[in-house]
Amino acid sequence: MSRIVKIVLTLNLMLVAVLTFVYPHLMVGPGKLIPGHGKLESDCFACHTSLSGAASERCVTCHKPDQIGRLSTAGQVISKPLTSVPFHQKLISQDCVACHSDHAGVKRFRQQGSFNHSLLNKETGSRCQSCHMPPTDSLHRQISGNCSQCHGMNKWVPATFDHDNYFSLDRDHNTRCVTCHAANDYSRYTCYGCHEHTASNIRREHVKEGIRSFDNCVECHRSADEHDIRGGGNEGRREGGRDSKAEHEKHGDD
Amino acid sequence: MTSSLWRQHVLPFTLLLGLLAGATLAGDYFLHRMNLVWVGRYLGIPGILLIIISLIYSLRKRKFITAGNPKTLLTLHEFGTWLGSLMVLIHAGIHFNAILPWLATVAMGVNVISGMVGKLLLSRSRQHVQSQREHFQLRGLSRPEVEQAIFWDAVAVGSMTQWRRVHIPIFIAFAVLSLGHIISIFIFWGWA
Repeated sequence: MSRIVKIVLTLNLMLVAVLTFVYPHLMVGPGKLIPGHGKLESDCFACHTSLSGAASERCVTCHKPDQIGRLSTAGQVISKPLTSVPFHQKLISQDCVACHSDHAGVKRFRQQGSFNHSLLNKETGSRCQSCHMPPTDSLHRQISGNCSQCHGMNKWVPATFDHDNYFSLDRDHNTRCVTCHAANDYSRYTCYGCHEHTASNIRREHVKEGIRSFDNCVECHRSADEHDIRGGGNEGRREGGRDSKAEHEKHGDD
Repeated sequence: MTSSLWRQHVLPFTLLLGLLAGATLAGDYFLHRMNLVWVGRYLGIPGILLIIISLIYSLRKRKFITAGNPKTLLTLHEFGTWLGSLMVLIHAGIHFNAILPWLATVAMGVNVISGMVGKLLLSRSRQHVQSQREHFQLRGLSRPEVEQAIFWDAVAVGSMTQWRRVHIPIFIAFAVLSLGHIISIFIFWGWA
């Protein structure tokens, strides 16, 4: 390598080094900051700690946790908050970067609008409706609260609950939730909420077949199909040893 | 330039270079399609490690080390730098906005091309021009006529001989710029 090439190369690399320190946001910053952080563009260490990245301790020097969602960093009242209820005050820890990121190039890798619900304290985490609007479809209009019985914390759809695992809602059972689940309590059900099934006729039919234990209907019946008798075990056995399925099949053939 | 030089030497070189570009685009498309963009973000690490490992050949060639078969190390150098460059190019394609890493990527690209010219194209092209010269001399052409017949091939080979002038300085530029990028990542990245 000739001396001239060495000099030119050294000068160029020194120029790049100087530019990196003068314009760090252009030379090493992974994209623009959000408009609210625009003034910090060339002050990397306003948010970053050497060798450990953006630190929540730096965030809270401007964003006071007890004011987030209520007051701006300048102390002004927020007239149109992003959430109807401030919730940052209910977090179990101030781990800002668990949900927030900056720089256009970094935000592309983060799911925007994601929120780690496990950071909420238990009481706040169970009151979904304080932050989320309840769905307005015909099913959810009948329900209030207890969202976690059917939905997980990570995503609303798909619901973690599949009614078919317990009972198929076919056309004979296309009814309101409250018909079977009184008071929006989905941990309990009753089959006597409609005119078709009454305690007396159910008892009569089962006793006639020698079935004494029939309190838990879905233990044997998972759909309206009377031939589809899935379980029962000892509870649903007829006195004398024959199982309920055989009896129901016989009963159905009558 | 005769068509045979193009077909026998320049075309394979172009294809290998095109393969690098094609594999980069395919890798980038695959990662985006499979929602694996985050993988590309980390491909720079094995990529640069492969390039560093392949530099054992350069140390052996300049006698900084004495162990190792030079031919094997050259193969490692060629394969390692090609594959490492592919990884770095895919890594570079995964959306980053800073100028410093882009400069490093451009320097690496020039480095790869100059290296491929040096090892893949130059020796074969020299042989080709020499055989052409001998062929024309055997046919009884005078020396000026021979030189005229192989003029463009000779010009092409002459420009290829400049590869080393580019390869080493641009490698130093690549190394310094990459180091700057890596240091900045170490300083600002949240490793915890």
